[in-house]
Amino acid sequence: MKKWTDLNVSSGVALALTRRQLMQRAALGAGALAIGGLGFPRSSFAANEINFWASATLDIEDGWDIFKNESGIDVIFTDNGNDPGPVVAKLAAGNANDIYDVGGLQGGSEKELAKQGLIAPWDLSKIPNYETIWQWARDIPYITYEGKTYGIPAVINADSMIALEDKVGTVDSYAVIFDPKLKGKTAMEDAWINSAIFTAMYLKESENAPIAEPGNLTPDELGIVMEFLIKHKKDGQFRTFWNGWEQGVQLVANEEVWVMTGWEPIVYAARERGIDAYYAAPKEGYEGWGNNTILLKGAVDRGLSDTAHALANALLAGFYGCTLGQLRGYVVPTDNNVAYAEANPDAFDAKAVKELADHVKAKFAGKVYWQNTRPDNFQLYEEWWQKLRNA
Amino acid sequence: MSNRPHGAGRFRRPALLLALPSLLVLVGIGLVPLVIVTVWSFWSFDPDTYWITPEWTLASYSALFDTGRVPVLVRTTWLALLTAGIATFFAFPAATIIGMMSRPRRAVVLIVLFTIPFFTSALIRAFAWRLVLGRTGIVNEALVGLDIVEQPVEWLLFSNFAVVIGMVAAYLPFAVIPMVLVLGRIEPSVMRASEDLGAGFWTTLRRVVLPLAMPGVIAGFLFVFVVALGTSTEIQLLGGAGDSSIAIMINDVMRVVNFPLAFAIATTVIVFLSVIVILADRVLKLSRMFEDLGT
Repeated sequence: MKKWTDLNVSSGVALALTRRQLMQRAALGAGALAIGGLGFPRSSFAANEINFWASATLDIEDGWDIFKNESGIDVIFTDNGNDPGPVVAKLAAGNANDIYDVGGLQGGSEKELAKQGLIAPWDLSKIPNYETIWQWARDIPYITYEGKTYGIPAVINADSMIALEDKVGTVDSYAVIFDPKLKGKTAMEDAWINSAIFTAMYLKESENAPIAEPGNLTPDELGIVMEFLIKHKKDGQFRTFWNGWEQGVQLVANEEVWVMTGWEPIVYAARERGIDAYYAAPKEGYEGWGNNTILLKGAVDRGLSDTAHALANALLAGFYGCTLGQLRGYVVPTDNNVAYAEANPDAFDAKAVKELADHVKAKFAGKVYWQNTRPDNFQLYEEWWQKLRNA
Repeated sequence: MSNRPHGAGRFRRPALLLALPSLLVLVGIGLVPLVIVTVWSFWSFDPDTYWITPEWTLASYSALFDTGRVPVLVRTTWLALLTAGIATFFAFPAATIIGMMSRPRRAVVLIVLFTIPFFTSALIRAFAWRLVLGRTGIVNEALVGLDIVEQPVEWLLFSNFAVVIGMVAAYLPFAVIPMVLVLGRIEPSVMRASEDLGAGFWTTLRRVVLPLAMPGVIAGFLFVFVVALGTSTEIQLLGGAGDSSIAIMINDVMRVVNFPLAFAIATTVIVFLSVIVILADRVLKLSRMFEDLGT
């Protein structure tokens, strides 16, 4: 029987770098899942067994054995590919609800899934640890629908942009991404989920554009944002739109771009290669994102609702947060992690756990707009992105 | 004298039985999915369920034109044609050396050398070009170091130039191998006859070798064209900001679960490729490649 002291983990930062790689690999499986029909309905299940179908971000690998000892819940983890589109399709038109009990995916799809009755609301009275989630994480707008909570933040972070100190100095605004003086030296991510919101945040905060919610743009707002991006693309502002962990690192490490929107671990990877990179704190704010657990309707139908709630509670109890932090450098938004680490000093470094939590809290102390993987007009986003590609 | 192929007569039935499993597999995993994709492309997309409903519509095909996707089809086709053309141009001399001027052992070694790029993934192959063509890459370092340019040349990377370089390097073997097979079948006596009749090197190449090798040349061109048409890796890694291709566009559409539109794009490409192959056969007599079969 494994204990938490058996875990083979190294520094959180170093291992955080593997998370994106894992997500990429996971995405390869998403296409197959999208069409459905690959799995079979479960003919039997144990009362303490939960099929957890989530982004690889949430996988603690060997840690699940210890998690079972701690919580009594036997978690069978399956990577869902992280891409919300195929996950939603598999739930709506496939057989995911026949197979899986609890889901975990980047936030934004909860409302659509709830409207279609594909997921069930969490009964927060059965999740005592929910009250320990940091308030601002509980306030994420899209985790509730009609007053009920459908998503429980399991991992929280916030993204901004990576800059090269010796090339652009200290920057504090996304304006630098669109600065003509840096033509051909900037980049954004090849994903409307992130690039549209970053641009909307800049236009709203620094250009007074009539944008209400950067994470959920109306057709008119989306037009403003995308026309702005198209203009700058035509002007040759962007060196490239990057895609994936290794591309992001290469662009910064080889100084192909001097500033780009992206993930914080890229900074650490670039520094390891001797590049003077830093993660900017833009005045327009960060793009916050959450990876949330959802209760699949199938679990309720199979009488596994209570076990699913016990799982949601256990994910917030401390061990999972400490392990995930060490394994991938990501933060479960509760102070239970620090308390658990302090109570188990031979397994976890409480100081490191606290530093990681404080780092994320500091980002959220300022302005944050939440990433929304399924904005109301998501089909329109894709159409505009195609126009941007063609521009 | 009978013109019936060997497959005729008493061997016909057992031959067909022998081929039946392969035929079933081909139909099952090749043709049936294509038919399903084509049928579903004419079904309706239900935004409430993110799924398709069996209501016939041309909406997805209409969306192909309404949402600026046709330029992607045209651009991808143009890039694939350019890549296939360049690959064919460079493949012919290589195939000539392998197929006509090498002993079997050296031919094998040379073919293996050409296939080495396939020992690694497409991602790695394309990524390596970023390190070669980038601002701090080998080429720019050399150009700047030799004082040929003052500043690194920006268009070497993240451009159509880089995409074509990456695709030609990756897919050259697809052009070389069919040419080698055809060139290797040209009888030396034919070459000697040409020489005896007073033809020089270029005349023999133009009037004897090229016509005989044409089926292999066309096959090589088509192989590269088809593979280049379906790729996304080189365009994503080496192309300009947000450059698209048919494969990237289908992936984008699948991410928003608009399956009928994705199927419509795929069906359009299948039809387009079929037309290309049929036209190529009509004009260039591709079937000559197989004229020895079944005789």
